[in-house]
Amino acid sequence: MGFLDTLPVTIMQWVRSALSPYLPVWGSELVVALAKVVLALVVGIMPVIVFTWMERKVLARGQDRFGPNVAGPFGLIVAFADAIKILTKEDVIPAAADKPAFRLAPALILIPALLVIAVIPFGRGAIAADLNVGVLYVIAMGSMTALAVLTASWSSGNKYSLVSAFRAVAQLVSYEVPMAFALLAVVLVSGSLSTVRIVEAQAVPFALTMPIAAAVYFLCALAEANRSPFDLLEGESELVAGFNLEYSGMKFAMVYIGEYLHIFLIGALTTTLFLGGYRGPILPGWFWFFAKSLFVVFVVLWIRTTWPRFRIDQMLDFAWKFLVPLAMANLVVVAVAYKITSDVYMGAGLSLLANLLLLTATVVLLVAWARRSKSRRVRALILGEV
Amino acid sequence: MLGRGMLKGLWVTLRHMMATYTSGPRRFPRRYVSGGVLERPEPDMRGMFTLQYPFERYCMFPRFRGVLAQLRDPENGQPRCTACMACERACPHGVISIVAEGKGKERRPKEYTYNLGRCIFCRLCVEACPFDAIEMTHVYEVTSTTSNQVLNMQDLLELGDAANIHHAGEDWQ
Repeated sequence: MGFLDTLPVTIMQWVRSALSPYLPVWGSELVVALAKVVLALVVGIMPVIVFTWMERKVLARGQDRFGPNVAGPFGLIVAFADAIKILTKEDVIPAAADKPAFRLAPALILIPALLVIAVIPFGRGAIAADLNVGVLYVIAMGSMTALAVLTASWSSGNKYSLVSAFRAVAQLVSYEVPMAFALLAVVLVSGSLSTVRIVEAQAVPFALTMPIAAAVYFLCALAEANRSPFDLLEGESELVAGFNLEYSGMKFAMVYIGEYLHIFLIGALTTTLFLGGYRGPILPGWFWFFAKSLFVVFVVLWIRTTWPRFRIDQMLDFAWKFLVPLAMANLVVVAVAYKITSDVYMGAGLSLLANLLLLTATVVLLVAWARRSKSRRVRALILGEV
Repeated sequence: MLGRGMLKGLWVTLRHMMATYTSGPRRFPRRYVSGGVLERPEPDMRGMFTLQYPFERYCMFPRFRGVLAQLRDPENGQPRCTACMACERACPHGVISIVAEGKGKERRPKEYTYNLGRCIFCRLCVEACPFDAIEMTHVYEVTSTTSNQVLNMQDLLELGDAANIHHAGEDWQ
C-alpha cells in the first residue's frame, strides 16, 4: 500500500531520472512542471464530467425520479451528450453587448477556479505547487469570482443579468469575511498557510476539533460557489437564468464548467482544510482524498435538493449578524484552547469542548433574542411557533 | 425550532433517495416494472413514480372505454353478432354500418364497419346490443395518419381475441 500511496511522486521521479541523460536540469524540471500542470488540470476537469451526472442523479432520486439513465450504463456518459449539444449551438453575441468584455468573462470565471487546483494536495506529495501562502491564495482566487460575474453580466447589456450581478457582489463580498475568519482558526492551529502543512497538522481532523469553523466554512463556500441555498444570482424564478443569461454555445459551456469546478473545489478544499485531506487508514491517500471530496459534494447536492433559496436581505443578515460573530467567537475560543495545552490531543479535546460550549451559548442567545423580540414573525421563525 | 426543520427536511430527502433503491416496483436492479404494465399505484407506494411510457404502461381501470371489439362465443368460437342493427341505430355519430346476410338463425353481418375517426367512445352501442356481442377494449393507442380510419369485422374480432373477453360487461364489476 505504501507503493500505491506515493505513486504520483514515484512517477514524477521516474520521469525526471529518465529525462536526465538527454536534457539539462532545467529542461527536465520544466517537463516535470508541465506534466504536473497537465495532470492537475485533468484531475480538476475530470470530476466535472462526473458531477454533471451526479447532480442530476442525486436531485432526481431525491424527488422520486430516475434522472439520466439512457446514455450509457446508468446514464454515465450524459456529459458527453451535453458537450455535443453545446458544441453544435450557435454562439450568439447580443447587439447591446460590450464585446471584448463579453468574450473575456467566461475565461475569467473558469481560470481562477482552475488556478486553485494548483494548491490542492490530491495525495501524499501529489500537489502541483505547495505554496507557503496556500490558504491566502485560495481566498484571493475565490474573490475573483465577484469580478468575473460582474464582468459577465455588465457586458451582456441585460437588466436581469445586472440585477444578478448586484446580488453576486453583495453576496460574495459579505461571505468572504466569515470564511476568512473560519480559515484563520485553521491557520492558527496548524501554524502554517501551506495546504500540505495543514493536512499534516490534522492528526484529528479539524472538522472534529472545531465543528463550528467547519460549518461556517462550508456555508460560506456554498455562497462563494453560488450553490443552493445561496443561489440567489441564478434565481430561476425571478432572474430568468442569472448572470449567464446571454451566454450560449461554447461560452456557456465555459461558465457551466466553471460552476461545476467550483463544486469540486468546495469538496476538495473542505476535505483538505477540515476533513484531514489525504490522511486515512490502510487505503492510499489519493483514494481517501477523492472519497472525502465526493462525500462533501454529495452533501452539497443533497442540500440543493432539500433547502429553499434565501431572500437577499435574509442572506446578508445571516452573513453579517450570525456567521461573522460566530466565526470570530470560534477563533477566540480555539486560540484559548490551544494556548492552554501544547499536547495535540489535549488541545483537540479542549477545542471541541470550547466549540460545544460556544454552540450552546449561540442557541441560548438566539432563543433569548427570539423571546425578547417584539416581532411575532421572528419569534415564529426561530421558535417554530405558528 | 432553531433549524430543526432544516435537518428534518434533509432527512426526508435522504429517505426518499434511499427508498428509490429499496422499495417500489422499480427498486434497484430493476429498471422497468415487470411485464411492462404498472398496476395502479396505491397511495402508500414508495420509490420512483416515473412511467417510462413506451416501455411501460399503466394498467387501465376496468371501465375504461377504448376501441370497440367484436366478441366470440367461447362454446363454438363464432362471433355473437347477429346483425340486428341495434348498435347502428344507437350510435349518435353513424360510426357503425352493417350489411346483413342470411335469414333467422343464420343471419350474420356480411360487412361490419366501424369508423374509428368518428367514434366518441360513448359505449351506447354496447348498451344497446341484446346479444353482448360487442364491448369496448382497453386499447387506446390508435394513432393514424388518416382521419377516417375504418376497422372491419376481422379487425374488430382480432381486438376482441386480444382483449380475451367473451361477453359485454365482463370486466365491469
